[in-house]
Amino acid sequence: MASTVLVVDDSAMARKMLIRSLPASWDVEVRQATNGVEALAAYRQGDVDVMFLDLTMPEMDGFQVLETLRAEGLNCLVVVVSADIQPEAQERVKRLGAIAFVKKPVDAEKLGVVLKEYGVSL
Amino acid sequence: MTATLFSEDQRDALQELTNIGMGQAGASVAAVLGEFVQLSVPRILVLKPTLIPAALERIVGPEPVTAVRQGFHGDLRGEAVVVYGAAHCRELADLMGYDDALDEATERELLLDVSNVLVGACLGGLAEQIDAEMGFSAPSLMATGAEVGSLLDVERMDSPCALFVEVNFSLEKRSFACHLVMLLPEDQILVLRDAIDRFLASL
Repeated sequence: MASTVLVVDDSAMARKMLIRSLPASWDVEVRQATNGVEALAAYRQGDVDVMFLDLTMPEMDGFQVLETLRAEGLNCLVVVVSADIQPEAQERVKRLGAIAFVKKPVDAEKLGVVLKEYGVSL
Repeated sequence: MTATLFSEDQRDALQELTNIGMGQAGASVAAVLGEFVQLSVPRILVLKPTLIPAALERIVGPEPVTAVRQGFHGDLRGEAVVVYGAAHCRELADLMGYDDALDEATERELLLDVSNVLVGACLGGLAEQIDAEMGFSAPSLMATGAEVGSLLDVERMDSPCALFVEVNFSLEKRSFACHLVMLLPEDQILVLRDAIDRFLASL
């Protein structure tokens, strides 16, 4: 069965780059959101298996999305994809429940390794 | 005027490329200061030079500022300006672990060092992605405790428009904040636009 992924980034180019970096063998339906508010709305409609989440966004940033997901007990795999490469940013998102941090610009190979590690069937 | 020089795709690309440079700069400064740096979405504007002082004032507010400028050259030529609220300069010294009031020379050196790290990482990160070779001149102090509107001599900028890229860094636990502004004259905007087009075509 195809997985549903939600790609959250305010930049259209960044979403495109991420989508192109997804493993070719992964059977996925891709949805997109341009900020945290949209991401939560899309998530609440259901079926999202994996969320690729940017941190620096207008309206609601990635940290706030993670906090909300956790507070509401919502459940999906979140991979943070961000240019904010401070070690503390990476620690924080993991504490907030993200399974992994991938730095921008995204390296397709590294992304594949991360997904495999978490048992995403590719 | 942004609309006429940059398509939506080009503007979006520049914002994202700047975002990646900003992330590298944020991490470098966080390492220097030992504090978590909060980043916000970079802002891209194409302005008439005469409108730049008002744009700066909108970012910094009415307080007096201290500013450092650093030129860059090579495939892309322009100027980066790092603006600090005057009160924040003292905070910087405190952050760096100087207990007593700093003498002027030490404070100046500290400002130049931090600015150099910010500009080098932010613009270097941007340049790397678009395969631009860029060199930097030594940073120099532009003004201390000055009015933000008088910072740049915009009358002398003989370009019909300038690219104004705004990146803001602030600290969570402190009131310290600074703002990096990258200024490019019109001919360099066109160079940058071509580089962005090549980058987009390579995706």
